[in-house]
Amino acid sequence: MNPILNESGKIELLMGNEAIARGALEAGVQVCAAYPGNPSSEIIASLAAVAGVRGIHVEWSVNEKVALEVVAGASFAGLRGLCAMKQNGMNVACDFLLNLNLTGCGGGLVVLVADDPGALSSTNEEDSRLYAKLAGLPLLEPATIQEIKEMTLWAFDLSEALGLPVLIRSATRISHARSNVLLGDLPKEKRLPYFDAPRVTFPVVKNHQRLYDKQIQAAQYFEISSYNDYRGPDKPELLLLTCGSGWLYALEAVVSLDLSQRVGLAKLGTTWPLPTAWVLEQLTKAQRILFVEEVDPFLENNIKALFAQHNMDLGGKRFFGKADRTLPETGELNPDIVIRAIQNLLDITFQSRPPEYAVRAKEAVQQHVPGRDIGFCAGCPHRATYWAIKNALALDGRKGILLGDIGCYSLGMGASGFFQMKTLHAMGSGAGLACGLGQLKRFGLDQPVLTVCGDSTFFHAVMPALANARYNGADFLLLLLDNSGTAMTGFQPHPGTGKKASGDPAPVLDLKTICRALGAEVEEADPFQLTSTTEAILRLLQEGKGPRVLILRRECALIRGKQQKKLFQVTIDRERCLGDQCGCNRLCTRVYKCPGLIWDPMTGKAQIDEAICTGCGVCAEICPASAIGKEAA
Amino acid sequence: MNQGQKGLIEKVLSKDMCAACGACLALCPYLKSRQDKVIKLDDCDLTVGRCYAYCPRSQVDWEGLQKKIFGPAYEAIELGTARKILMARAKDPVWQGKAQTGGVVSALIDFALQKKIIQKAVLTQRKDDLLPFGRIISDRDQVLSSAGSSYISGPTLEVLNQGPWQGEERIGLVGLPCQILALAKMKDSTLPTQTPLERVVLTIGLFCTWALAYKPFKAFLEARFDHQPINKLDITPPPERLLRVWVGDQVQEISLDVIRDFIRPACRVCPDMTSEFADLSVGTVEGMAEWNTLIVRTERGEEVVERALEANIIEIRPLPAENLSHLKEASVLKKQRALTVLKEQGEPEGGYLNLSQELREKILS
Repeated sequence: MNPILNESGKIELLMGNEAIARGALEAGVQVCAAYPGNPSSEIIASLAAVAGVRGIHVEWSVNEKVALEVVAGASFAGLRGLCAMKQNGMNVACDFLLNLNLTGCGGGLVVLVADDPGALSSTNEEDSRLYAKLAGLPLLEPATIQEIKEMTLWAFDLSEALGLPVLIRSATRISHARSNVLLGDLPKEKRLPYFDAPRVTFPVVKNHQRLYDKQIQAAQYFEISSYNDYRGPDKPELLLLTCGSGWLYALEAVVSLDLSQRVGLAKLGTTWPLPTAWVLEQLTKAQRILFVEEVDPFLENNIKALFAQHNMDLGGKRFFGKADRTLPETGELNPDIVIRAIQNLLDITFQSRPPEYAVRAKEAVQQHVPGRDIGFCAGCPHRATYWAIKNALALDGRKGILLGDIGCYSLGMGASGFFQMKTLHAMGSGAGLACGLGQLKRFGLDQPVLTVCGDSTFFHAVMPALANARYNGADFLLLLLDNSGTAMTGFQPHPGTGKKASGDPAPVLDLKTICRALGAEVEEADPFQLTSTTEAILRLLQEGKGPRVLILRRECALIRGKQQKKLFQVTIDRERCLGDQCGCNRLCTRVYKCPGLIWDPMTGKAQIDEAICTGCGVCAEICPASAIGKEAA
Repeated sequence: MNQGQKGLIEKVLSKDMCAACGACLALCPYLKSRQDKVIKLDDCDLTVGRCYAYCPRSQVDWEGLQKKIFGPAYEAIELGTARKILMARAKDPVWQGKAQTGGVVSALIDFALQKKIIQKAVLTQRKDDLLPFGRIISDRDQVLSSAGSSYISGPTLEVLNQGPWQGEERIGLVGLPCQILALAKMKDSTLPTQTPLERVVLTIGLFCTWALAYKPFKAFLEARFDHQPINKLDITPPPERLLRVWVGDQVQEISLDVIRDFIRPACRVCPDMTSEFADLSVGTVEGMAEWNTLIVRTERGEEVVERALEANIIEIRPLPAENLSHLKEASVLKKQRALTVLKEQGEPEGGYLNLSQELREKILS
């Protein structure tokens, strides 16, 4: 049985994102939607896996704004809905969110945002909590896996009590960590949807005022919430004011330093609006206060502002945190960082590990860990695509500009994409930027403009840019890298794949037809056919006007690897292999660098790593000595 | 100094000194040709490579190479080593009609093929867009389709490197001075190669004053003739010196002073007008459109000419003294111009063109 469906009273080892899904199920959620994005993707994936059994609707929407609208639609009809996203997704959804706050919602609506401190799998580092303040919406910050399940459940009740969407902010170390979770009841009843009340933002000012009034109401709930607690001495030398995973790091630091008699630890689970009385009570405990929280000084700034309002009653305080750089302003926190900060503030020495540990660890890494660059997988069609792009741009000779955006193909900015991709911002921004750069010919720009986008990204944000390009006559070549899924976040299906989140069949939206309908010239090529793909890119760069689209279609090597055996058995003829002689100089292992190829310095010949090679056969086309052979596997 | 791709880029490609002869192409996966340019696809980090060794603009030991091919010291500074300097023309009018002038090159290649002196020939053909490319041919029709010049450089030697070759065939090659010089360097190099250099048994070099840079020249023609297709280009011999352009069914004339702006920078430093490293060199004859100048340089070249004469393929006459003198003058002028440009560019001692002080002075005096 799926662990998130286990019965009430059981303890299950759940990932944070699975705990969120369970919490939503316990709350009786009926409609769930998201666009995948790490570290949030498993929430909807977990719910999709049980959608049939639980009789609920779970979908991968084309983008986060649509996902939030899907869930709000359900909420307007009285059902409970969950929308999940990563921090970048919040930017996409926020236009709707900042109107939804004025209309309010009906059935409980929870927006789960998983932030990525340190940008481990993101193009940016962003604190999505600021949206709660911007939109005037209640914000919860769970610190443990159990808590995230409980808070999710509570958030639905809170949302219905306030008539507002409730935001929950998770982070990588909560969403992707696992812990024992005590399960609660799963409701059997379903609500009947019915739309009765109009949901318009007018009159705007009146609704804006109402939003402020609701925040006061929310703060009153928060004042008595058990998610806000304090542990430590009555008058600590130092008070740690924490939330979310910051609390976990702070707790570990206090325990490691054995400071539970000297340092107080306050955890705030309801971070916006602030429960004023509770926070002021914590502030009276100590004169020195350190804020420990991930990404921006959100709590820090809000509590400082609150302190300013009440400073006549509180006396002098010294605040430490990100503002004075006691803690780093950027990057992900960890217990060591918090330990160092506390050591400095309390002037104590502590050695968490013997000094020689770091040296030994470094040696061990050098000896035993194989060096591997971040890059495309063996057999990835993107490597072949970037090879063709690189050669086409070199042959074209006009220093073409390759724009890009978010997907596995973002790695085209690095070595495994031969450093071809030159811009990286938001979803669909490659095509949007191409709409701008594609207008500059009249001012003398003689560099051709190209952009890459993935199939999932195309549906997410590229279609409007392509329409814009056709309408305004922007001149560029869009390379649509169709690898049949949302590969980077875990192969989620999208409108082009013919599959729904639940695995049920769906109508296929054909990329070629859509691009044609948007007025672009469209061609197709197979990225594994390097020569013809290079020629097609070169030709499309030099001919034609307005937006042109080249669809490069090859399934993700990992999707292919799961479904079928190798395309080819690839072998190396060691007699023919030139190695590092003039005429080759190790093109396959020095330049193309597919991880499936290895260089044997003893014999001076290339080799196939059978364990890694996926049999795409592209290296056979690259080898100048025809030493790499491929036979249908 | 790197004598591989890095050196080639530093000394030749990055300085626009590439003659687009094609000698460095089809040897490795890193260099490719596009229009009349050589393009680097990826870095090669070898310190010695054939690309650099074969290039006619990397380093040239002019006198050393001459000595290796022709034996005695380089004395004939005007036209290079020559056994005979004649004028000649093809007997069969089929060659004259197609060719630029006397049809001697086409007639001799065809003859060499017929008599199995060679089994294959590397010639240059041009596409509709003026761009020349190398081609391996083995019959008369293909010889015919290769006649005529476009005054644009093309990587003819690429096909020599590339093949396909069967492994036994003897090969003839017709090329521009830069290509003939490159071939001499290729034959002189000791680096291992698949190129069947030892089987290139006959080289016919063309006279060349310069070639034009494709992109600006094409843009000029397109603007001038409103994008109409160009059928043929020809430069009339002195004193007229006009570029004739066959556009549609009309012949237009353009002053060479206008055209000179498009001369390839690599041609401005070339000292060789008459393909001095060839077996035979062929060019025009001033004032006699139906004749070719023919310089016989090697024993092998002489043998082919003798046999062609016997077979009544070509006819010859002595080159009039006045023509010879003008030819020498023009050839020396090209050498002088090259040395002057190199000096202006600040070419260091032991740079690309390695000439003895003595020879340098002789040319400049």
